[in-house]
This record gives sequence, C-alpha cells and structure tokens, in this order.
Amino acid sequence: MKKLLQFFLTIVIVSAALLMVNANLNSSQGYSGGNTLTVYNWGDYIDPDLIKKFEKETGIKVIYETFDSNEAMMTKIEQGGTNYDIAIPSDYTIVKMVKKGLLVPLDHSKLPNLVHIDQRFMDLSFDPGNKYSMPYFWGTAGIVYNPKMLGGKKITSWNDLWDPDLKNQILLVDSAREVIGMGLNSLGYSLNDTNKQHLLAAKKKLDSLMPNVKAIVGDEIKILLANEEAAVGFTWSGEASETISNNEDLDYVVPKEGSNVWFDNMVIPKTVKNIGGAHKFINFMLDPKNAAKNAEYVGYSTPNKKALSYMPKDVVKDKRFYPAPELTDKLEVYEDLGKKNIAYFNELFLEFKMHQD
Amino acid sequence: MFDFKGFSMQWYRELFHDTRMLIIVLNTIIVALLSALFSTIFGMLGALAIYNAKKRQTKNMLLSLNNVLIVSPDVIIGASFLILFTIAGVKLGFYSVLLSHIAFSIPIVVLMVLPKLMEMSPSLIDAARDLGANSWDVLTKVIIPFISPGIFAGFFMALTYSLDDFSVTFFVTGNGFSTLSVEIYSLARRGISLNINALSALLFLVTLLLVVIYHFITLRNNKASGLGVQKR
Repeated sequence: MKKLLQFFLTIVIVSAALLMVNANLNSSQGYSGGNTLTVYNWGDYIDPDLIKKFEKETGIKVIYETFDSNEAMMTKIEQGGTNYDIAIPSDYTIVKMVKKGLLVPLDHSKLPNLVHIDQRFMDLSFDPGNKYSMPYFWGTAGIVYNPKMLGGKKITSWNDLWDPDLKNQILLVDSAREVIGMGLNSLGYSLNDTNKQHLLAAKKKLDSLMPNVKAIVGDEIKILLANEEAAVGFTWSGEASETISNNEDLDYVVPKEGSNVWFDNMVIPKTVKNIGGAHKFINFMLDPKNAAKNAEYVGYSTPNKKALSYMPKDVVKDKRFYPAPELTDKLEVYEDLGKKNIAYFNELFLEFKMHQD
Repeated sequence: MFDFKGFSMQWYRELFHDTRMLIIVLNTIIVALLSALFSTIFGMLGALAIYNAKKRQTKNMLLSLNNVLIVSPDVIIGASFLILFTIAGVKLGFYSVLLSHIAFSIPIVVLMVLPKLMEMSPSLIDAARDLGANSWDVLTKVIIPFISPGIFAGFFMALTYSLDDFSVTFFVTGNGFSTLSVEIYSLARRGISLNINALSALLFLVTLLLVVIYHFITLRNNKASGLGVQKR
C-alpha cells in the first residue's frame, strides 16, 4: 500500500512540475490572456516568421492549429465547442460551408489589400463576389513525369498517357472526381460535365488506359515518383513542386486540353470570437510582401499579382506553376454536382478500378 | 524520401526552438500521466465493486458494461465524446481530452485488476477478519497489497493507451490544445519535417532509459525481498 501511494504521489508531483513548465512555455508565447486569434490551417502551410511579424505589428497573439482534411475541419467547426477565428478550406468545401451557414461574410472595407489579388482569381463560381472567402494559394492538377525514364519523351496532353510505350508506368490517385475528370478532359468535355453519354464515353476511354496503369494510390504517389518506381503520375501542382525538389529529373505539366484548378481560401467561420483581428489577419496575409514570403516558404502559387514582383524571377517565370492566362482560361474549378451525380461518378470509378481486359 | 548526406544535430536544435512542438509534447505526457493515474484509481474501485457484487447477475451486467468501451471502435467513442462535450457545453481542450482518456482507460485497468482479485483466496480475508481487522484494514493491508501487481500493470497499460491514442483524441482536441499524434497526422499533407524524426529518436531513447531503470529497480526489489516473502 505504501509503495503504491508513493508511486502515485510521484506521478502527481511529476505531472504538476510538467504542468508548470507548460504554463511557463505558454505564457512566454503569450497564449494566456484575452487578445488572441485562433488560426485553423493545414499542417505547415504558413511561414512561421509571418505569424511572429503579425503578432509584433498588431499585438494580437496567434494560436495556430492544424487539420489534415477539409472534412475534418468542417466537422470541428460545425460541432462548435471551439473558437476558430480563421480557417483555410479548399474551394468545394466553401460551397458546402456556405450552404450550412458556417461562414461569416467578409467586410471588404476592412481589407484594402484585396486590390493586389489577380482578377483571374476573384469572383469564382464557388464564392461569387468573394463574399465569404479570399484566395490564399492556388494550383493546378496535372502530370508529373520522368523524361529520363521515358527516353526523353515529352508529355504535353492527357492523350499522351494512352501511348502504348507507357505500359505499366502510370500512377493514378484514388479519387473518383480526379480520374473521371481526366477522362472527360481528354475527350474535350468539361470537368463538371454530368451528361451520362459523355461520362460513359470517358469511362470507356479510361478502361483502355488500364494496361498503362501501374497502380491507383494515395499520398504515397510523391515518394513512388521520387524513387523512380514509376515514370508518370497524376498529381497536384503543390505536391509536384515538392516531388521535383526531391528528384530533379522529374517534370510537371498541365495538360493542354485543360485541367482542374484549385484554391485554398481564407474564411471566417461562425465560431469567430475576434472578428476585427480576423480581418486584420486576412488583410495582413494579402499584403504583397507577406504573400511573397509565404509563397516562398510553402512553395505553392500565390494568387497575389503584386507579390510576384517580390519573388525570384525564375520562380515566377516558371510556366509550370504560374501558367499563362491562355491556359488558366481552360482550367476549371470543381463544382458541387449534387449527391446524385457524385454517386454516379463514384460508381463509374469503381467500375473502372475493377475493369480487366 | 530524404537523401542521407551525413550526421548533424541541426534538426534537434530546430526542435528545441519550436516552442509549439515542445508544448504539444508536454501536453501529451501530462495527459498520459494524469489520465493513467485517475483511471487506475477509478478502475481499481470498479474492479473491487464488481468483485464484491453479491448477485451473479449484477456482476455480469457490470462486467459487460465495462466491456462495451473495449469492444466499441475508437472512432465511435471519439465521435460520441465530441457530441457529448458539445451538448454539455464543455469547451474542447485539455479537460475534454483528459476526461475522454480517463474514460477509455478505466475498462483496461478493470480488466487488469479483476483477475488478480479472482485469484485471491477468500480465506485470506476471512483470516484477516478473524484476527480483528476492520473493513479498512482488510482493504489497505490485505487486498490492495495482493492486487498491486495488477494495479501497476493497469497503470502502465493506461499510460501507453493514452500516449498512442489518435482517433479519440482527434475528435476532442481544440482551442489550441493538441497532442503529438494529432499534430503529426495533420502535418501529412505537406510532408513531415525532420523535426519529427528527431523527436521520435528522443522519445525512443527516453522510453528505453525508463525500461532500463525499471529493470534495475525490479532486480533490486527481488533481491531485497528474498524468497518471495512480501515485505511491507
């Protein structure tokens, strides 16, 4: 009994000591006290120096929290019990959040820096008039490939993937919208096409791609490509630049038929406590210098036109990650097609995955 | 994914400058220690209650209620806690995580302690009573010393369960509070930095050290207590 009590007492003392150290660390960060702003963002998706700079400029302490998927973030906000002041969802999630009344409209008069945003990226279908959201980063979907493994062959379009030389070389992502969209794009249809004939044609075309497909995988696509396990892979521009930095031989291309363009956007969820601070934060992130610094840290493309002049020339001139307007005109945002159509997409994708010649 | 270029301490240095990560590590350890402590106490009391239940039916009922939390999937437990806490108006954060960890650790402790109780000969208690012990004496001087290996085992099981739990914690963290497993998971989209590798190496060394220390303590205790005669 004595031994047990001693043991428990030690545990209590140890945890009390740890709690004290923790409280110290917390207060040294300024997390205690009222004037705080809680930012809910993807993991490692902001330059930490910018948070420090924001804190210095405004005196507001930033609590930074991270999520790993749009769905998880939406659940947390919907359930309440939290007080996030800023969240950074992707385009299609904004539509859902607006429908559920989870967002607070932005006060544009408090965001003077929004003039710096490229007009191409304003007023998009997921948020007409940017009533609820400001673009944070954007990018495309495309193909990462290894010219060395393909004997110097270049890929420029979706249809190049059907080349018989690519037998057992292609990696696809395990996502219905992306893969069926690829089929639609290769036939010249829109990504948001819901015409059954067009969809069936796309599925049929995809079935003939099967001999070239090595595997249908998830996030590990980056590692597999960097390790040269396969020569070609479907991926998003942000991940592509990361993969290329791990293996210089790789190249990224946005197919000329058009593809998907995605946005991560700053929004103010309904759980906001510090609405003034939230507007200050959005305006701070829209400042060209800050946006440029952030883009350099994260490595994704910034929608801030003015910021480009603060960034290294070779990055901005890189047509792969900052495509010209002629190409961006062909890119499409995923629209919310409704439950029924999405179910049909999933069904077709399942059939495609099970297809065997 | 990273090319090995040579040995360096760079990432360890970076880790110790990352105050946020250190706070999260401390949070994780504090929650693990406290939840293990509380769940051990409650679990022990629970096991005693089941052991002392008069009717066979009550005993079975209590035991199956206990097993409900063990068989239900972590995700379900986590989601239920999230709903419960938001309805009850508990702010998500340290306390919500601590409470849920205590809750899912209790059944484990009960299951570790109960067999020890069953193993104990009832004549031990009869003898103690016969020699003039009151209920408190019986509990603290006979029962608890006998079941203490089970209690320690329960404590360490609860500790490890709390340390490596992801799914329940994932649902109930919020408002700036996070634990290591949740934080690492959310780094997945952008790729995990080598900080985490450094941290894992440190955690591994610490656990290894604890195991070695534990080994020497038990070695010494075994020598001290001689031929299996328990000293108090």
